[in-house]
Amino acid sequence: MSEDNKVNITINDQPVSVPKGTLVVEAAKQIGVEIPVFCYHEKLGPFGCCRMCLVEVEKMPKLTTACTQAVMPDMVVKTESPKVIKAQQGVLEFTLLNHPLDCPVCDKGGECPLQNNTFKYGPGDTRMEFERANRDKATPLSPVITIDRERCIACQRCTRYSDIIEQESALVMLNRGFNNEVGTFNNEPYDTKYSGNVIDICPVGALTNTQFRFKARTWDLDNSATLCSHCGCNCNMTLGSRTNKFMRIETRPNDLVDDGWVCDKARFGYSFIESDQRIVEATTLVNGEHKVANTLETAKHVAESLKKIADEHGPESIGFIGSPFGTNEELYLYHKLFRFTLGTNNLDHKTYLDTPGLPVDHYDFLNIETANLVLLIGSDPAEELPILDLRIKKAVTRKGVKLAVLNDQRTELDKIADLSLKYDVGSDEIALSSLANSLATELDIPMVEGNVSDESLTGIAGDQMKKMSELIRTAMKVCVIYNPASFTESSIFMLKHLLEVINKIPTMECGAIPAAPFTNSLGAMDMGILPDYYPGGISCSDPDKVQQVWGDGAFLETKGLSALEMIEKAESGELKALIIYRNNPVIDFPDCKRVEAALKNLSLLVVHDMMETETSTLANIVLPSNGPGYDEGTTTNIGGRVQYRKRGLNTNNPPDWKIISKMINSLSEKPIEYLTSFSVTEELSKNVPGYSEITKKSIKREGKTREKIESTNGSVPEIKKIESSGHGLKLRIATKLFTKDKILDASSPLAHHFLPSTLYLNESDASKLKLSNGDQAIIKANGVDVGATVEVSNKCNPGAVVVPKISDDQGLLRLTRSGGVSWVEVKKA
Amino acid sequence: MTQILLKNIDTKGLTSIDVYEKQGGYQSLKKAFEKKPEEIVEIVKASGLRGRGGAGFPAGLKWSFLAKDVFPRYLACNADESEPGTCKDRELLEKTPHLLIEGIVVTCYACRIETGYIYYRGEFQHASDLMDKAIEEAYAKGYLGKNIMGSGLNLDLYTHLGAGAYICGEESALLNSLEGRRGEPRLKPPFPAVEGLYGKPTVINNVETLCVVPWIINEGAEKHAALGTEKSKGTKLVSVSGHVKKPGNYEIVMGTPTSELIFSLAGGMRDDNKLKAFIPGGSSANILPADKVDVPYDYEAIAEAGSMLGSGALIVMDHTVNIVEAALRMSYFYMHESCGKCTPCREGTRWMYQILSDIQDGKGSNKQVEKLEDICDNMSFKCFCALGDAAVAPVASSIMNFRSDYEELIKKIEGDAVTA
Repeated sequence: MSEDNKVNITINDQPVSVPKGTLVVEAAKQIGVEIPVFCYHEKLGPFGCCRMCLVEVEKMPKLTTACTQAVMPDMVVKTESPKVIKAQQGVLEFTLLNHPLDCPVCDKGGECPLQNNTFKYGPGDTRMEFERANRDKATPLSPVITIDRERCIACQRCTRYSDIIEQESALVMLNRGFNNEVGTFNNEPYDTKYSGNVIDICPVGALTNTQFRFKARTWDLDNSATLCSHCGCNCNMTLGSRTNKFMRIETRPNDLVDDGWVCDKARFGYSFIESDQRIVEATTLVNGEHKVANTLETAKHVAESLKKIADEHGPESIGFIGSPFGTNEELYLYHKLFRFTLGTNNLDHKTYLDTPGLPVDHYDFLNIETANLVLLIGSDPAEELPILDLRIKKAVTRKGVKLAVLNDQRTELDKIADLSLKYDVGSDEIALSSLANSLATELDIPMVEGNVSDESLTGIAGDQMKKMSELIRTAMKVCVIYNPASFTESSIFMLKHLLEVINKIPTMECGAIPAAPFTNSLGAMDMGILPDYYPGGISCSDPDKVQQVWGDGAFLETKGLSALEMIEKAESGELKALIIYRNNPVIDFPDCKRVEAALKNLSLLVVHDMMETETSTLANIVLPSNGPGYDEGTTTNIGGRVQYRKRGLNTNNPPDWKIISKMINSLSEKPIEYLTSFSVTEELSKNVPGYSEITKKSIKREGKTREKIESTNGSVPEIKKIESSGHGLKLRIATKLFTKDKILDASSPLAHHFLPSTLYLNESDASKLKLSNGDQAIIKANGVDVGATVEVSNKCNPGAVVVPKISDDQGLLRLTRSGGVSWVEVKKA
Repeated sequence: MTQILLKNIDTKGLTSIDVYEKQGGYQSLKKAFEKKPEEIVEIVKASGLRGRGGAGFPAGLKWSFLAKDVFPRYLACNADESEPGTCKDRELLEKTPHLLIEGIVVTCYACRIETGYIYYRGEFQHASDLMDKAIEEAYAKGYLGKNIMGSGLNLDLYTHLGAGAYICGEESALLNSLEGRRGEPRLKPPFPAVEGLYGKPTVINNVETLCVVPWIINEGAEKHAALGTEKSKGTKLVSVSGHVKKPGNYEIVMGTPTSELIFSLAGGMRDDNKLKAFIPGGSSANILPADKVDVPYDYEAIAEAGSMLGSGALIVMDHTVNIVEAALRMSYFYMHESCGKCTPCREGTRWMYQILSDIQDGKGSNKQVEKLEDICDNMSFKCFCALGDAAVAPVASSIMNFRSDYEELIKKIEGDAVTA
């Protein structure tokens, strides 16, 4: 920052130089002067209602609030003068006048700004001679938040949070003056996706976590600085426990990732770690019965059995279906086990097509705010990656960033978008190529062949697409956020082509965030849990590169099978054995009824998971996985930031990395003994391109962004022929944040968010089918029926239906087929 | 005495546009449109017209603070007349709505504003209905709407009723309320002239202020500036209430002695009782003792006497009044009207009311009076907006100027306690 933008001021006789516009309260922090506050919160901006931060400024006739006053040249501020002390004591006396002082039974006790400020700045006595006002002590604002209205000091942090940050204005001040209180319109529940953050920012014990209320004193908690494992944001959080029992989740602000917030799924969605559905011991199926066995012995047995099958039927007869939920260390070890110990490329972790690396910069979350345009493709952040949703909202509403949306379904962010275009379900590849061509025309670079701009192919009019390309062309910096899991067939190649085209616009800065809605999708790709790529984006068809990194003999001639291909080969009997790691194909894979039959056809099915699933019940051998709360290791968020997920609770079970390394070691001549998960991190940082600077030390506080993985995209992709065959309507499955599954079961405190099975129909299709709002309908495909309630809304273009996946029991994936568009018939029930 | 506002106020049928025009209404528009907008601002500056809402800020200067070249701009006419004792705007609104429209048109021309709102206090339903009719008439005659009288000025004017909150007379709370938000004052800066209604530059003027503007245009700035004192120009509507024979609104030239208002215009004290105290500018102004009654009624002189002209509500109290009881009643008002945004006002107004009630109910002590004084000190100039300071005024000034009333109550009680 240049000197011109600096302002010099004096606080308590200490000089300080800060950027223009800095608030006095922030300037004071920089020289270690504390100015007490209640209503001020750095993420909410100046407000000035609690009056706690009054300071004396020379030449100003009155005391001023340090949280609203910006620095002025040569300002002289006093924070400890007799006038200020009198004011602080006065304000605290007012604040405490009707506060219940039930500190001995208050959840906030020990971490309460009101206690702390009173301790340090308070009058030490009260002159209040009247009976304190009584208000409601425990009113549920929602099933997860309880308000104690006696303790509220009306600082409006929570209501401003609801207005400014989550932008719902759901929590508001009601009534007036002394009778004002925090509440909602018409006493509706306060149940937004981000409601829990108000508990953390409440400076008193008014907004309390219903689950944690009266459970433990805050100073008795064991706090673990860990990460959320629910989505690809990897928000930082603190897991508090007492006597190894889960107590609560709090935010652990990291501006580079979560901006200080977590969603409600992070805060209230961890009851699964004490679920009785957890797999806590290894079991082997003997004569139809599950026999408990020693975990590490079982691991050894699994390795030997796989080896035996590989020796008998060739290494192509075994495979690994991993998961975007495992840590980098666990996935890295599985890559080693399968590629180097067992000799197969049959590794995958997903059912859609994706390739590692980007032809443009890999943007982190901060770039969303510094871009001029965010281009959101196929993504629904509010349901898939909630904190990404908050960051986009912040960028658009408070940082002047424009938002363009290209999607096949209407989403919440459309409301604040500058332009939002909807392509027909299944026409993603053509829509992307149409946009790429629209930009390429002006740049005089090769275009995708074919008449892709035809409105009849995508449902998007030519002039609208032109508008979007104009928005992109005129932006100086574009941040493309796309969800690879929303694409059909091989559209990912077209997306990467589009990125290349945008990057060729003169003076353009372009970067992308691959926003798959899973915890560690990026890590899984980086660790080589792909049939066609070794770790770090090294192609399986590049023997030189493979040998350069992994040494002689590391290259495998045979191409690997994707997860879906493995299922096909299992069905045909060519694949004999499979380890499924923290994945549940029987529910989550397309045409999953067929998947179940295929898995039953295997000679050996090993499931390594943390929860009992529909897949684990089919397994010959089950290995326990510790999973979030108990496990530790690194994960890579969608912005490329590698962070450490610390253990929150203790367990006697061996960690996953120990189980996997046991498998490797029992087949190796030169066993490697890892001491901790960090020993694995150390090894992978040496071997995985992009991770060379990831060390225990470098990721300690805020994590570290791994280096960009280069993409090997080449020529202009060709359009695959669009599928015009099929009966009925195209099915678009929408992701919901709160689904009834293994993580949030019926006993979850978030169960009130679960939706009934719903079918969103376009108006024109609804009238053709003679269906209207509230009708019960049946969705049919693959000989399977799924029931749903009709909602007529133009959530997608005609010719398709949007059906959210609301639970595992719904069995929605039974209606789908692999890769391309799934067609369904809709009938009145 | 010169009358600017009330001269024709009782003309029969003045609310209709025909009668109003016959009285010379809307004549200022033609004159104004012959000049450039900036010239109008200069004229109003030169006239010395100061805001009649309470703060007395020079009107022309306020207009010149509008953020340059930022459009659209808005006008919000403050018709939330809520200051206890004040009823002057109501008279103008109910008797001569077209005068306000005329003033608004000139102001909007001067400030290049195309949308105006009149914000009424919730109880002014009748006045608002009359205004709606008047606005309709003005549109029909071409005084509102597109290209008014060929001037190129387009102006739409709307009425809006509040929901009954004193705080919404505070200009930034008024804007919040107008936008459909909670009636709470906003942080300043940014000031409304820079970021006001819907985040755009906004002029906010009181009804009386805007009603003076046509006269200034018609008669000239010099004529206005010639009225009154050096710094307080023109006339002032004063609502005289309390223990006088003829309570009501009186228009005086600035600087007229307060005693003249009470003893001449308002007919003197009821039953010829002795004057004990008066509040010159509404309940937010300090209560003055009778010996200050000769203070000239203008901004500076009243300030020097230890109070303020405020909204121009002269509340008169005779010797039968116990000042503690009066302070208690006013303190109840502020407790009831505090918006609750800031801590000292929300908590302090209630605490003061509780203590005053105790004293009034015979449970008081001298220690409590001292405590009251300290609470006043802890509130004054430490609240978010002026409501907190206003709440302090009746309590602090009643103790300062009428401590004996407090002592009497306490002594009486102590005495009762002894005899019992």
